[in-house]
Amino acid sequence: MTPSLYRPGTSRLHRAPAGLKLAALAAAGIALVLTGSLPVLAGAALAGAGLVRATGAPLRALRPQVTGLAWVLGVVVAATAVLDGPHQAAAAGLRLLALVLAALAVTLTTRASDLLDALERALAPLERRGWLRADRVGLAVALVLRFVPEIAGQAAALREAQAARGLRANPVTLIVPLIVRTLIRADAVAEAIEARSYPPEKDTTPR
Amino acid sequence: MTTRDLVLSALFAALIVALGLIPAIPVGALPVPITPQSLGVMLAGLILGPVRGGLAVALVVLLVVLGLPVLSGGRGGFGVVVGPTGGFLLGWFLGAVVTGALVRRFAPGPWGWRETAFAVLACLLGGIGAVYALGIPWLAAVTGMGLSKAALGSAVFVPGDVVKAVVAALIARGVRRAYPIDLR
Repeated sequence: MTPSLYRPGTSRLHRAPAGLKLAALAAAGIALVLTGSLPVLAGAALAGAGLVRATGAPLRALRPQVTGLAWVLGVVVAATAVLDGPHQAAAAGLRLLALVLAALAVTLTTRASDLLDALERALAPLERRGWLRADRVGLAVALVLRFVPEIAGQAAALREAQAARGLRANPVTLIVPLIVRTLIRADAVAEAIEARSYPPEKDTTPR
Repeated sequence: MTTRDLVLSALFAALIVALGLIPAIPVGALPVPITPQSLGVMLAGLILGPVRGGLAVALVVLLVVLGLPVLSGGRGGFGVVVGPTGGFLLGWFLGAVVTGALVRRFAPGPWGWRETAFAVLACLLGGIGAVYALGIPWLAAVTGMGLSKAALGSAVFVPGDVVKAVVAALIARGVRRAYPIDLR
């Protein structure tokens, strides 16, 4: 139901470590906001397109991502062109295009689990101070992914049942029972998890 | 943070994602149909409270960062976060926390109409005020347009969000009356 945007492949981008890709993306983001030179920004946008191309993902798979982007981009460029003139509009459009394409390339070539690992490492300093538990973050993410299709299915079933009784679509009468069922479900799931003593206590014995 | 808090947050995050999958619901004569996903952000604060509500929204944002198409219309990935609307995404988190904190402080009890009216106010301050407070400066910075212009452009969405605040309060009222849980 919620397949990842990740596209399997063997390109150099696929093999680069997730943490490195994220760091490079963040650095590129800062650099692009600081420059206003059109040739540099155009080069960056081309490089972004090159990166997406290098992932080897079929264009068809990119369409939902790209159409959404095209709307936002069009609005931003049109608004800036009217308000600040064509030079600013071109700079804003190219900057956005470059950033979003580069980010798309990272998303396409990095497994969600690898990003999660990189995230757990980034969270390690917080974990050492006892502010959060990285394994609990992993459990929470797994739970979300497990229950999205379930809850979406329940929403469809509720809607169908109400339509069968002649009720028109109404956000209040649809979402109230959906949430109540979700809250009841959460109690059952929490009990099941605790009954299995999961997540396990951290092993603190020295290796 | 107990296991129950974690599971409640995770399942509510799943609910927010699922709300992005169901088609927009038309409301009366309003020209803009309600896209329920940002409704879910207000609901997270109203129903779970600031800590768990904030965690639920943070999980959704985390999934976006991880590249899962969890936003309405199948959008997701790092591009959304660094893009022009990324501030609104981070604003969601702040919005759920503010909404939850307000409602926990001022309307914790059984919900009559006074509490429901207050919940609308909490949604206006958290779900709109806090979200736009992060979203507009971000939009202005990323696109290079001025603050006032970014605010003007975002103002188009305010009427729809006001309707969502009312709908969220009515939903929260129904849930609280059917299945009250403590706010945390």
